[in-house]
Amino acid sequence: MADVQTTSQAILVVGGGMSGITAALEAAEAGYDVVLVERNPYLGGRVTQLYQYFPKLCPPNCGLEINFRRMRQNPKVRFFTMAEVASISGREGDYDVTVKMAPRYVNEKCTCCGKCAEACEAEIDNPFNYGMDKIKAAYLPHEFAFPMRYILDPSIVGTDQGKKCLDACEYGAIDPDMKETTFDLKVGAIVWAAGWNPYDAAKIDYYGFGEYKNVITNVMMERMAAPNGPTGGRILRPSDKKEPKNIAFIQCAGSRDENHLPYCSGICCLASLKQTTYVRERKPDCDIAIFFIDIRALDRLEDFYVKVQADPKVAFIKSKIANITEDEGTGNLILEGENTRTGEQILMNFDMVVLATGMVPNRIELDAAPDVTHDEYGFFTNNPEQPGIYGAGCVRTPTDVASSVQDATAGALKAIQSIARR
Amino acid sequence: MENKVNYDPSFAEEVFRNVDAGDEIKMCMNCGVCAGSCPLREHMDYPPRQIFALIRAGKREEVLGSQSIMLCTSCYTCAVKCPRSIPVIDVMHGLAHYALKQGYVPRKDTAAFGGEFWKQVYRLGRIDEKDLPRRVFFSGGLIEGVRAMLNFMDIGIKLMLHRRMKLLPERKIKGIQSLRKMLDKAERLGKGGAIA
Repeated sequence: MADVQTTSQAILVVGGGMSGITAALEAAEAGYDVVLVERNPYLGGRVTQLYQYFPKLCPPNCGLEINFRRMRQNPKVRFFTMAEVASISGREGDYDVTVKMAPRYVNEKCTCCGKCAEACEAEIDNPFNYGMDKIKAAYLPHEFAFPMRYILDPSIVGTDQGKKCLDACEYGAIDPDMKETTFDLKVGAIVWAAGWNPYDAAKIDYYGFGEYKNVITNVMMERMAAPNGPTGGRILRPSDKKEPKNIAFIQCAGSRDENHLPYCSGICCLASLKQTTYVRERKPDCDIAIFFIDIRALDRLEDFYVKVQADPKVAFIKSKIANITEDEGTGNLILEGENTRTGEQILMNFDMVVLATGMVPNRIELDAAPDVTHDEYGFFTNNPEQPGIYGAGCVRTPTDVASSVQDATAGALKAIQSIARR
Repeated sequence: MENKVNYDPSFAEEVFRNVDAGDEIKMCMNCGVCAGSCPLREHMDYPPRQIFALIRAGKREEVLGSQSIMLCTSCYTCAVKCPRSIPVIDVMHGLAHYALKQGYVPRKDTAAFGGEFWKQVYRLGRIDEKDLPRRVFFSGGLIEGVRAMLNFMDIGIKLMLHRRMKLLPERKIKGIQSLRKMLDKAERLGKGGAIA
């Protein structure tokens, strides 16, 4: 397995999303040895699943591409995908870390010719598109994947389907005998950039997510708008693949709610405003209603809010929707609530509903870890009495991509200081 | 400054001090989920969120004289959904109780139902599903009573068929004396429910 020689001068970065990549590169470019571990089979994290950033409405691929090139050019960074931290022991300046790597069943000889996927007949839910479509069980996670390498789903390994993939590969890249492996590292400091998950919308039972097909979440909408998404960039309602004539966005779906996430994730308002522009660009006839408690578009981002407000086809309705029911015949959704500006009852019919769900920080359950501390909401906190481990990005606080990059740079600096002061 | 509104905090302070669970409304962020989910919202003059907003705006007469606070049936839909965990039902009952002490009276039919309900609980320790509506129906006179009985006949028959309503009168629960002691004590403490 991986022969990873590191010293107490090295930095470990946990998580290979935008924050982790940034922290790793900033530290490496300052001359420090960095090891980055990522649980997914590719780097880039949630950012790779976005269609566009707000407020500039540009695709994330160019930024990712620049970072991947920095990474390829810098021998100081070593990264491992499908790898997770299993345990951490020791203290600042002297950590012993065990990393566990799941088998990919495809080795470095893979040229991405795609023959294995052609030969394979088995399909799995596509995790990259939040299960909205199917993908072959031998697959490339997405077309910009870095590292650019196929993966075999464990469900076909050792089966006829796995054999077909093996036979189809002309390069000897498929290795069904791969096993889970572990390796040990010695590092001086750790940057914790484990990222986030979207809140499970099915827990908000009165919105019917999972039960009503045309209720989707904001992260699903983002995939739907993307040209490499499940619908090829067309916004279609899931039940009958028709173009919706009107769409409701429900803000604070589970956020600012003591029964779910008590905090504000701070990005969902802008995400919905951004997604509104996707829809309005493509469908000049489509009406949008945004139901909100407060729109939190702060500082310069308020300009974006004002721009969307000027669109006569977009209605902003101040109300936390209290209930959704489905019209079984049409699959349309009936929203109930109180318009808190007028005091009138709301009873409105929509073709599709997008739930603006918030961010849940990833918690990694470690066999053994020094005091990795969390706040009451589960976000990583930098414990001043336990220096050496520093949080970065959305695992530390819910925020947007630009702020994550700044936070990760700060995290890298903290890690460098931790090493340099000894 | 013709549009100037002077907020008077004195009524809000009165509510925080004197109404059971009254200070809980400080948590309200005006999302409207209570008002949007209340099954009686069409019958309320002000749904819960508006009651809370009126308290903050110092509208004493509108709040204590409202029917909404007397109508709450404790179904708990709002309390379960409230994102700020406000015990909306406790506040509504607290307000109703306070309004009664201040001499406000509920609507005639609300008062008749509440009064009969309380009497039956005190007498039997339970509700007699046919006796209670009968008494309420006929509280407004013979003709009104007959009309109401005819209106509810279908429901009554269905309840009988599903054995949800017995033909024979309900009997007292065991230990009715202990229950009455509790109710008496609650009344002495001034917490005897909305309509005592």
